Amino acid sequence: MELQTKHALAAQLLAMADDEILLAHRDSEWTGHAPILEEDIALANLAQDELGHASVWYGLLHELTGEDANQLVFFRDPTAYYNIQMVELPNGDWAFTLMRQYLFDVAEMLRLTALTESNYQPLANAAAKVRREELYHVRHSSAWVRRLGLGTDESHRRTQKALTTLWPFALQMFVPLPEEPALVASHILPDADQLKQQWLDVVLPFLHQAGLQVPDTLEPIATSRQQHSKYLAPLLQEMQEVARQDPGAEW
Amino acid sequence: MNEIGRRDTQWPLYEVFMQEKAERPFQSVGAVHAADAEMAILNARTVFVRRPACHTLWVVPHSAILMRTSEELADDEEDDADTGEPQRYQIFQKTSQRRAMVYVGHVGEITAVSPQHALRQAIDTFGSSEDVFVWWVVPNAAITSTDDDDIDSLFAPAYDKIYRQPSAYRTFTAIRKAKHSSNQ
Repeated sequence: MELQTKHALAAQLLAMADDEILLAHRDSEWTGHAPILEEDIALANLAQDELGHASVWYGLLHELTGEDANQLVFFRDPTAYYNIQMVELPNGDWAFTLMRQYLFDVAEMLRLTALTESNYQPLANAAAKVRREELYHVRHSSAWVRRLGLGTDESHRRTQKALTTLWPFALQMFVPLPEEPALVASHILPDADQLKQQWLDVVLPFLHQAGLQVPDTLEPIATSRQQHSKYLAPLLQEMQEVARQDPGAEW
Repeated sequence: MNEIGRRDTQWPLYEVFMQEKAERPFQSVGAVHAADAEMAILNARTVFVRRPACHTLWVVPHSAILMRTSEELADDEEDDADTGEPQRYQIFQKTSQRRAMVYVGHVGEITAVSPQHALRQAIDTFGSSEDVFVWWVVPNAAITSTDDDDIDSLFAPAYDKIYRQPSAYRTFTAIRKAKHSSNQ
């Protein structure tokens, strides 16, 4: 692989892994706090799944560059994280958490589907494996968004508020990385614009049927993954606290 | 519905039946609360299929199942309401007090005009061989089932998640070591 391609692919894998690890952390914060026991287990389960996905992408990155997942996750400062801002945001209420999950899950499912055709075989293989359970994720989060959107006045109000807040954050999922066009040209990655269009084709009618108004903008909240919200630093402080207390510890 | 049932502000209870492999009998593995059957399927998957293998899940509203213990059968004269349309019923039995993870297991199907009618036929058909502690009569019409298309997304990924198995952790080795050193 050419050095330039390798560099671009490494950035892409890091972006995918960082998104998943932070979403996993946010989901895990529901453990012990979800509205009912069954959903408490579901969110813990989801957190574990997203953690598993992160581990897959960090693993591919390790094969490519030798970088170590534990070092990347626990000993990197906020400025070096390469995630979208949506996954940094605090959980808010149940509607906010499930709306974020839905918007993310559909994008991930479509990306994974496209990646099964990737010219980079390790990525295509991993995508095929991860995609199976992503269908369940979409089923779970869409079942909730539909019920919350069409439920009571209060659930509708909270779900609409979540969508209005999250929409520009979600659009950052489709901002291409600086070196991405080369990867698209060599059929390693799907085209971000096409992916966005596919995503809109799924979420717009679905959200409409759930009685929700989609904000009238296609402007993402940020165009660089180096820009972060004020929520990332405290999240990492908690996530990294134990590992950093004894960096040499064996687990 | 009893007094406790009326005061219950939780979502309805669904009984969960799991079939571990194709052609194996369904067994009741527990219950979940859910607002409707679709959510009950997802909750059942979440709660009961984290570790074990699963081929098909059924969820059935608890209120739709006729449940009778052997004591109840001895004491009660059932009202005969044998005037309905013939329906298919799935019959489950509890025949052992020793199984911790399974309450009742599937023994067969009956066509009958009411749950009570189905139960009487079930006792005649499936009741002779051994002691039956509990009978469940489940109308087919009340069953929501996963289908074969669900296996790949709902159940298959669990096989790869070895971190959910206790054997994936070194705890056992650590416990053995600790026991070994305290014995010396």
